[in-house]
Order: sequence, then C-alpha cells, then structure tokens
Amino acid sequence: MNSRLLLFVIISAFIFNIGSPDLYAQKAKKNKARLNVQYVKIMDGEIYFDIKASARIKKKTVKISGIEINIFNELEDERIDLGKTVTDMDGESRFVLKSLNEIKPDSSNTYNIVVSFKGNESFKKAKKSISFKDAIIEAKIITKDSVNYISAILTDTETKNPIVDESLTVQVQRLFKPLRIGEEFNNTDEDGTIMVPVEEGIPGIDGNLTFEVVLNESDDFGTVKAMVTGSIGVPIVDESTFDQRTMWSPRNKTPVFLLIFPNLLIIGIWGFIVYLILNLFKLSKS
Amino acid sequence: MKNYDKILKDLTPRKFNKLGIIWTSLLIVVIIAGLIAYIDQLIKGQVVTNMRDYALWGIYISNFVFFVATSFVGTVIVAFLRLTHKGWRTPLVRIAEIISLACIIMAGITIMIDMARPDRLLNLFIHARLQSPITWDVIIIPTYIVLSFLLLYFPLLPDLAILKKYYKETKPKLSKWYGTFALNWTGSKVQKAIQTKSIKTIAYLIIPVGFILQTVDAWLFSTTYRVGWSSTNMGAYFISGAFVAGVGALITVVYVIRRTYKLEDYITYLHFDKMGRLLVLACLIYLYFNINEYLIPAFLADKEEESHLRLLFFGKYAPLFWFVIIGGLIVPIIVLTFKKGRKPLPMFIMALLVVLGSWWKRYLIVTPTLLHPFLPIQGVPESWRQYFPSLHEWLITGATLAMALLIITMLFRYLPIIPIQRTADENELLKTDKNTES
Amino acid sequence: MENNNNSSRRKFLDKGLKLGLVTAIGGLGLSKIVSQLNAKPDSNSHDKMELMTTDGTLIQVDSTEVHAMDHSQEHDKKYNVREGIPNRKFVMVVDLAKCKNALSCQSACNKHHYITGDNAWVKVYKMQESKDTAPYWMPTTCQHCDQPACVTVCPVDATFKRRDGLVLIDNTRCIGCRFCMAACPYSTRVFNWSEPDQGEITLTMDMEQHQHEASSPEHAGVPSVKGTVDKCDFCPHAIDNGELPHCVTACPNGVFYFGDKYEDTVTNGDETLRLGKLLEDKAGYRLMESLGTEPSIYYLPPTDRLVDFEDGIENYNEFQSVEKPE
Repeated sequence: MNSRLLLFVIISAFIFNIGSPDLYAQKAKKNKARLNVQYVKIMDGEIYFDIKASARIKKKTVKISGIEINIFNELEDERIDLGKTVTDMDGESRFVLKSLNEIKPDSSNTYNIVVSFKGNESFKKAKKSISFKDAIIEAKIITKDSVNYISAILTDTETKNPIVDESLTVQVQRLFKPLRIGEEFNNTDEDGTIMVPVEEGIPGIDGNLTFEVVLNESDDFGTVKAMVTGSIGVPIVDESTFDQRTMWSPRNKTPVFLLIFPNLLIIGIWGFIVYLILNLFKLSKS
Repeated sequence: MKNYDKILKDLTPRKFNKLGIIWTSLLIVVIIAGLIAYIDQLIKGQVVTNMRDYALWGIYISNFVFFVATSFVGTVIVAFLRLTHKGWRTPLVRIAEIISLACIIMAGITIMIDMARPDRLLNLFIHARLQSPITWDVIIIPTYIVLSFLLLYFPLLPDLAILKKYYKETKPKLSKWYGTFALNWTGSKVQKAIQTKSIKTIAYLIIPVGFILQTVDAWLFSTTYRVGWSSTNMGAYFISGAFVAGVGALITVVYVIRRTYKLEDYITYLHFDKMGRLLVLACLIYLYFNINEYLIPAFLADKEEESHLRLLFFGKYAPLFWFVIIGGLIVPIIVLTFKKGRKPLPMFIMALLVVLGSWWKRYLIVTPTLLHPFLPIQGVPESWRQYFPSLHEWLITGATLAMALLIITMLFRYLPIIPIQRTADENELLKTDKNTES
Repeated sequence: MENNNNSSRRKFLDKGLKLGLVTAIGGLGLSKIVSQLNAKPDSNSHDKMELMTTDGTLIQVDSTEVHAMDHSQEHDKKYNVREGIPNRKFVMVVDLAKCKNALSCQSACNKHHYITGDNAWVKVYKMQESKDTAPYWMPTTCQHCDQPACVTVCPVDATFKRRDGLVLIDNTRCIGCRFCMAACPYSTRVFNWSEPDQGEITLTMDMEQHQHEASSPEHAGVPSVKGTVDKCDFCPHAIDNGELPHCVTACPNGVFYFGDKYEDTVTNGDETLRLGKLLEDKAGYRLMESLGTEPSIYYLPPTDRLVDFEDGIENYNEFQSVEKPE
C-alpha cells in the first residue's frame, strides 16, 4: 500500500507539472508559410516568375525574407530542377528564365511549375504550383480618321488560334504606375483583337508615349505584356524657373538689378572708405 | 571762457576711482558668466535656449535689433547735427561716437551668437546670395563699423597728440601709445585740411549708410509674410525707432559720465535742454509710426492681424505692450515737454525709461509674431506655445550688454570724453574769430 | 502494536511528503528545461532576426534595430543633386475627403527619415476655419513651392529649388540662422536644436549607406545635423527607385496622390489618374494661394466625405507628432 500510494503521488506530481501553463506557453509551433507565384511574360523581353512568401502571424500578414525557394518544372514522369532563389527584405523574389525553351510543357502543351520551400525552424514547408500555356500579344498603334487607336491581337502560341473573350488592359507607361487607357475590361472579339482609342493630349517626353497591352493574371496564360511606342503624345515643355534669374535662384543666377545696384553702392561707399584710410596715411606722413 | 590749462586738467582721462574699479569688475563678471553660458550653448546646441520651432528667434535677435538701433546715435548726433550746424553738440559728440561704435560692434557679435553653426561663418562670405536680406546685413554692418570707427578716429587725432605731450613726463609708456595713434599730428595746415575734408566726407557718408543699416535691419522682418512683420511701414518705423533708442541711450550715458567725471562745466543744462527737445521730437515721430503700425490693422481687423493685436492690447503681452508705449514713449514726451522736465535728473529717468522701453519693444516685435503662424500650432509639446528666455539666454544677452558698456567704459578711461582741442578752439573762437573745425 | 502502526504511518507520510516535494520540484525543473530547449527565438521581445546584407551574407540582428526599407544601391547619378531629375515636375494631391487622421503617413515618414525631434515633417492639422464651417483633417508637408520664400531668404544657398520642383536642404552648408523657418508661411520646417538622438539607428543607416555619400540632400535626415534645418524632401531617394514617397504608400485611405505634372498623371498606389482632370473634377486648390508662393501640393476639398471627421479624433494628439521610444 505504501508503494502504491507513493507511485500515485509521483505520477500525480508529474502530471501536475506537465499541466502547468508555463510549459505549454513555451512550446512554440512553427508558422505556416504561404507561397504565391505569378508567371509574367514580356513580349520580346524577359520571362520570369514573381514569388512572394508570407505568413499569417497573430492575425497579421508578415513577409518572410531570406528563405530559399526551389523552382521545379513538373512533367509527367520527372521533375526538373530549374534553380533556386532567395527572398529579399520584402519577402519577394524574381526568378528569370532566359527563354521559354528552358522549360518543357507536358503533352497538352501546358507548362507546370512548382515552387517549394523546404521549411526552417520558424516556418513549415510549403509549395505552390501553377500551370500556364504560352500566349502572345501583338500590339500596334493605328490612326483612323485622325484618332489614334491601340490595336492588339491575343494568340495562343500552340494552336495559333486567337484567344477569344479574354480581358486585356491597355495603359500608357508613366513614372510610377501606368495610366489606364480605355475601359477597365477590353474583351477580345472572335478574332482575338481589341481596338482601344487613345485620348487626346497625353503628355510625353518629346511626345513619345510607350503603351502596354496587358493580359493580367489570367488562369490559363499567366500575365502577358506587350509594349508599343509612338510619337502620338504632346511634347513636354520644361516650365521650371531653374534657368532663369529669379529671387530664389542660386547665387550664379542673381537677378540683374541686384547685381548692379548693391554692388554699385558697396563700391561707392567703400571707395570713399579707402579714400579716408589713405587720408590717414597722408596725414601721418605730412 | 576757460583757461587752456583748466580744460586740460578737466578733460584728460583719469585713472579709475574705486567706483570705476567696482563697475568694471562687475561688468567683467557678467561677461564671464555669459561666456560660460555661450560655451555651454556651443557644446549642447541651442536647445539650452527656450527657442523652439515656432518661437525660432528670441531675445538674441531682439537684442541684436536693439544694438543696431542704438548705434544710430552716431549718425544723428554727429553727422546730422553737424550738417545742420548745431554748435552745442561739441561736448556730446565723442560720447555719441563711442556709444555708436560699441553698439554696432556688439550687434555684429550678437548676431553670431544666434547662429547655430558659427563654425560655418565663412559660408556667409563664400556662398553669399545677394537675394537674401541677411547678406545685405552682412555687407552693411561691417561698413558701418568702419565708418563709425573713422568718425571717432579722425576728430580724435588732435586730442591724442595733446595727451601724448601731457603724459610725457608722468606716464611715458602711455604717452608713447598716444603718440603712435596720433599719427604724427602736429596741427599743421596740411593735416588740418585733410582732417577737415575727411570728417566732412564721413559725415555725408554715414548718414545714408546709417539709414541703409536701419532699413536693412527692418527688412529682415518685412520680407516675410508674417502677421506683424509684413508691414510696408517697417523701414521708416525702424529708422525712427533707432532715433529714439539712440538719443535715449546718449542721454543716459551723458548723465552718468557727467556726474562721474564732474563735467558739469562742459555739459550744462543747456545741453540737457537741447537733448530733451530732440528726444521729444524723436518720440513724437516714433509714436506717429506706432499709431500707424498698430491702430490701422486694428481698424481693419483682418483675422490674422486681429488675433495678433488682441494679444498685444489685451492679452498675454498687454502689460509689456502698454509699458513700452506709455512708459517708454508717452510719459517721456509729456515730462520732457516741460522745461522743468528737461533738467538732468528727470531727463536721466525719462531716458532710462526710453531705453528700457526700446529694448522691450524689440522683444514685442520679434516674439508675438512668431507665436502666431498661419497654420495652428499642433503636434508639438505644449511648452512650444510660449516663449520666455532661458537662463542661458539671459546670461548671454546680459554679457553682450555688459560688453558694450565695458567697451564704452574703457574708451572713456583712455580717451578724452569731451574733445579737448575742439573745446579749446571754441573757447578761442570768441577771441580770435577763427573758424576752426575739428 | 498501535505504536508500531503509528510510527510506520508517520514514517510513510514523512517519506511520501518528502518524495512528493522532490517530484514537484523535479517536475517543475524538468518543465523549465524542456521549455528552454523548445523556446522559439521570436517569441519574446529581445529576439533576433535573420537578415541578409547587401553582399549576400546572413546575419543575426536584434529585431528592434531593423526597419524595413528599400533603397536603391545604385548611385551613379545621372543628374546633379542640385539640379534634379530632368523632364519632371513633382506634384502631390491630397484628398481631404478621405483623410481620417490615421497618421500612418506621419509614422512612416518619421521612421524612414529617422526623426528623433519633437516636430514631425508630416503634420495632420485639425482644421476648422470658422465655427459654422465643417472641420476636417489636413495633412501638410513641405509644399515645395515654385516661388519659395525660404529659398529666397537663405543667405548661403543651403536650401535650393531644383528643376524637378523639389526644394531640398544641404545640411553641410546651413549656418542655422533660421531665416527660412521665419519666412515659410506653412510652418513646415523643423530645427535640430540639439544633437539629434539618432544613435541607435546608425547601424541600419550604415548598412544602407555604404554606397551613398555621407549625407545627401536627397535623403533628408540621414543623418540629421545639429544646428541645421530639416523638412520633408518628397523622398527623392524613393523616387530614384521608382517608388512613391513613403507617406503616399503608407496611407491606408489613399489620401495622397503623387506624380509628375508634366506627365499629367498622379497615383496613390492604387488609382492612377490624369492630374488635370482630377483637379477639375474635384475642384482642387492650393494652400494660401494668395501669398503667391505657388506650392506644388493640391488639395481636394472635403466634400462627399468617405470617412467621418469624428473617426479621427481618437488618434489626435495636440502635443505630440513624433513617437518616442519608452
């Protein structure tokens, strides 16, 4: 009976300790990491994947920086390692492909990509996969009845068929964010084309404007962007007073009257002062 | 008519008596205290003052403006009165010249104290922009310093020669100094001619320079958009204010010097009478400008002006404002209009009131406007909504005033307070009818 | 027999209590050890963050010392810092109908410019012109005027107006006369009355500065210099990177629009609009237009308010605009 009671005491004491809130609070869980990947293709330009890593900690979205992401090309029977990249301070990373030929499509001509994170002591492992087909946009500027239009055709590369009823965005490149031209949704017609009028009086350096026709984050084709430049803008005129002589210019552009009168006054007065000092010398010599 | 020897005995500089030594020591103590406070300011930054982002200029600037204003006395008494041929000014001119010189030198020093980066002083010359009113100030102040000095020096030459002879036996070393500075003055015709022409030139020159000095000082304020500063009146207002401050300071110093050095024979009731009338004139003109400056915006009562004026007339600054106007202007005008009021002692008291009023008037010009910006004062500590100078600021300002007084005292110690040669010549005037100017 | 039972019971109780005590202590001790082993580095206040420096090495830095920022490492300037970016004129539009005094703009600016004084560079004023007119929140920064009073009065050319519209300060030249502060009608300039207390953050500043010069007018406040003036710089260091100024990106309500007037386009990060049309549609105006300073910030009046004025009262602190560390 003694030993059983003893055992009971020991076990209950242990259980009591295990149940202490202290212990539970300090047993930390790994947070779940979330990966997001966008496929972007610039016509006659770069092709890349924009990868974002984040996690939800205490109801706030936190960016995960400095973690290694592996990118794979998934085919039916194998998984090709395309490379790795590390997220920057904002938890983002851009993985650039030199050309689409670097990756292989599957039998349905769809490219399948997987990005994965092995996990570390703070975060669990995660992965995200995307699939897309290759599409191209050809854009050009047309003038009809002295109105400028942006015309673009969206084509599926594999089938060479136009892609119908997809929404394209047309915008003009600006310093920070592009300015949208036309409607929010310009749907391609049965020929896969759109024609969007360009409003008058958009200013550009030397009258040059660069337009972008973008298929934004479509499920089938990812993001495709085509650019076209034309001199259909209003040339920018430098209206700054920087080159003029003003009251707020630096000293090398002092207004003329300030250069003349004060200096005349100064020279005049100090001329007399010099004369007076010379008089002192004359006086002492005589 | 006075005997030449008597003149010499009365007017040559004497050693300090006990009072003089105590006075000088006191001044030196105040200056050292200020110096220590200034070094602390250099080390810690201007955070030791009570100036902050809204009250960004304080008594350093108002003190600076006071010094500039007081230095106008040289222009008024010496040049102006000379050109109007007022003979009674003779015993007062040197005092005026010395006050002028001391004040404009201290103005230059005071403004450097307000600069938060005095180590970059040379930038004011290397990178100067002519568009800035401060650059105009940087040009005009040294110019006025030089002219004030020359205004003192040229008439001093004969007296230096006299002193050299006077002290040859008793104080040979001192005599030698006087000799060096006397520039071999012999009183020859040639020298007298050069001297006369030069003094005439200075007199003509210092008047426009003095006017420009006061105007540029005023433009430091009226070239901003601020309520109370953006006034078309400002230039003339400052000139007349300088007239008041200068004459007030002169009377105060004259009274003290007269008593200390027993110059009752030379500075007579006549002089006080004349100076009193001059002060009344100055105060009347200044009062006129004040009425324009304060009453007309009150008439219009545009929102910004109205709240600023309310503060001055009835609000926080009311006691100070009314002291300055009534005590510093109206009372002196009334008292000095009466002949009895122009006796030395009442004159001294009134002049003292005028000087005090002048100093605090400039405080009222600088501070209330700054605490009245266009956009409300928000987002800063509550203490930033008021300004009263800190101990450091008082010590440093006191030191600048003490330094000015010390310069004046030391110059009076070694230079004849009243021009000896000229006084002698004027006493001969009645006998020989020779028109000697010096 | 009784005695024997009593004594053995006592002995048992004695032993049991002793053992229980030992177990309790041992259990607690064990739990503490286990918790130390399992302790996550980021679960208490003095944690460390793993960061990558600009040359790719991973380092451990105290997370209190790290502030997220993005600054260009390339500094082969294609333009003179005193002349500015060619073919641009920067303007800002502030939509007063959207402002509810969230003060995110103020905290972002304070953070990115290491402001340690008592006066922030972005101030959101509680405005009410007269008792019958509506109150509103008005964020103000330096207006980067086209006829700047501050530049006109500077005696040493320490503050200057650029071709691209920005008014900047060269803290290595300023003599601390404060005439520019007296001249500014918008009360937007602040002064460093004492040595700025930016000590703890020099680590971060060093990290991002090893490719800049020691201090540039293009990144005001890095570092702040004792006895000189500071103010909003319209973040040219961010513009160089193709990014909007920090107040613009920080605002959760899209109040600030920023852009190039020559391009006639402004954006708040979400909406990108034609400037001319925006000002016409919403009756934009400028502050204190009658003074003739020609400011570069346009305000859209607070009509058709999207948020109530009262929503901003709780955030309003009349006597503080810079948060100090405890």
